[in-house]
Amino acid sequence: MGDSAVAAVRPLPLEDDISAGFWAAARERRLDIQYCSSCSRWNHTPSLTCPNCGSEDLAFRPASGRGLLYAWTVLHEPPAPGFRDMVPLIVGVVELEEQPRLFITTNILGATVEQLRLGAPVEVMFEEVADVVLPQFRLVGE
Amino acid sequence: MWEFRDKVAVAGVGYSKLSRRSEQSLAALTAQACDAALADAGLTRAALDGLATMPSMPRYGGARGAVEGIDVVTPWFLGELLGINEQIEWIGSTNGMVTQSLIDAAMAIASGVATHVIVYRALHNPPGKYINFESSHAGGHEQYTAPYGFTSPPAWAATCFRRYFELYGYSRADFAPFIVGNRANTMKNPNGYWRDKPLTEEDYLTTRMIADPMSLLDCDIPVDGCCALLLTSTERARDLKKPPALLTGFAASTHVGPAGVAQNLEDQIAGSEQVARRLWAATGMGPSDVDTAQLYDGFSLFVITWLEGMGLVPKGEAMAFLREGHGNLDGRLPINTGGGALGEGRLHGMTHLAEAVIQVTDRGGERQVPGANRSLVTVSNGLAKATAFLFSRDGG
Ligand SMILES: [Zn+2]
Repeated sequence: MGDSAVAAVRPLPLEDDISAGFWAAARERRLDIQYCSSCSRWNHTPSLTCPNCGSEDLAFRPASGRGLLYAWTVLHEPPAPGFRDMVPLIVGVVELEEQPRLFITTNILGATVEQLRLGAPVEVMFEEVADVVLPQFRLVGE
Repeated sequence: MWEFRDKVAVAGVGYSKLSRRSEQSLAALTAQACDAALADAGLTRAALDGLATMPSMPRYGGARGAVEGIDVVTPWFLGELLGINEQIEWIGSTNGMVTQSLIDAAMAIASGVATHVIVYRALHNPPGKYINFESSHAGGHEQYTAPYGFTSPPAWAATCFRRYFELYGYSRADFAPFIVGNRANTMKNPNGYWRDKPLTEEDYLTTRMIADPMSLLDCDIPVDGCCALLLTSTERARDLKKPPALLTGFAASTHVGPAGVAQNLEDQIAGSEQVARRLWAATGMGPSDVDTAQLYDGFSLFVITWLEGMGLVPKGEAMAFLREGHGNLDGRLPINTGGGALGEGRLHGMTHLAEAVIQVTDRGGERQVPGANRSLVTVSNGLAKATAFLFSRDGG
């Protein structure tokens, strides 16, 4: 159909002033999440002000990288051309252990659909895509 | 309670033809729907002094059209198109959903700013895939989702669907009776896109997955077309051609969940519960006063979250309620009596509003629920910008 240039790779993050710290940490193989010193709450996705208290006192802190599988979907068709070799693609929502409902979007790599269950423990890993490093998650203790 | 409870009414309903790809322009389809709503009320264009809509075209990735009359019909353009710009005294154009336009229009009428307002939604189904993420980079919020292939609303809703299944032990087979019953309702609706195509449980269980467990038949069908409603005061509406549907009250959600994921089951239900508290407070009514419910089904799962969030069914039981047939036309609480957006087509809540009007004015023909005095409408997913309405036949 091609009404615009078709991406050969998966869409890559376009860093901005707010997200730069998140992606910089990933390049160093760390999952950093914003933390609000004013109300002592974690915040993801990163934002200019804290969605809980409105403070600008937000800074990135290393997170444990551990969490539980909260929900998932399985995509049998590639959601963009660059995902062609990854189907069936598991897109997971992970609830990080730092705080209830601290969600992060990820793929669940190296797992089959049959292995997935609600509340399964997961841990962060890192995937290089072109010149970017993406935080990703995998099942643990299976 | 809302001071203007039952004082504003919908006096006319109009549809253009709804088709997958129309040979007519969106401008022509919109004019058809507006004229049909006016004719339904026994009025002409000369009566109009207000127009309201949410004009933009939703599309995720790819090109986003903005050509007047082709991709969008803004109220200013519609004023020209209908030749009534000079007489229009009030225009509402929102960034929310079109159902917010209905709230705006009701308040314009209640405050005396306008007397006869058309609320319309014109939607163009562009060529190519509706959702097509082709860019090489993703900025803003999409930088956290697009690299993972999580850019489409069906996939977001699918995660809620999956969580609901896992929490309560259901599967798609439990939902099949509702989807099939909904198609049966559609086939009794002359406006329904799928009115000529019967559906079996087998069809539902074997159809193509869009984002497992969400299949093609769990998504509403994108159409070219328009639906328009004519609003006026209840007092004026009493003198018009059709019986009025009284707007007893409305509510809107301002609930926002954590930003790490676009939709999650618990926050959608929490948002629906907020809407419920506000709607029952505004109307002085409650779940037991509802005779039919038009629950938003842009994605089928939303029917479940609204049933539970509005307090119509206890938590975790909505899918069983539907499986047992309680939402059928002859059931305890008939749901989406005209087939909803799954059956009629994607018009962002307008089909639900129109069907509520049709039911409370006793014009449903084959699909009319006897004694349907009050109809509930809920639109969107429960999160901020979601809305709910209660319509009534006689007020009181
Ligand atoms: Zn804070």
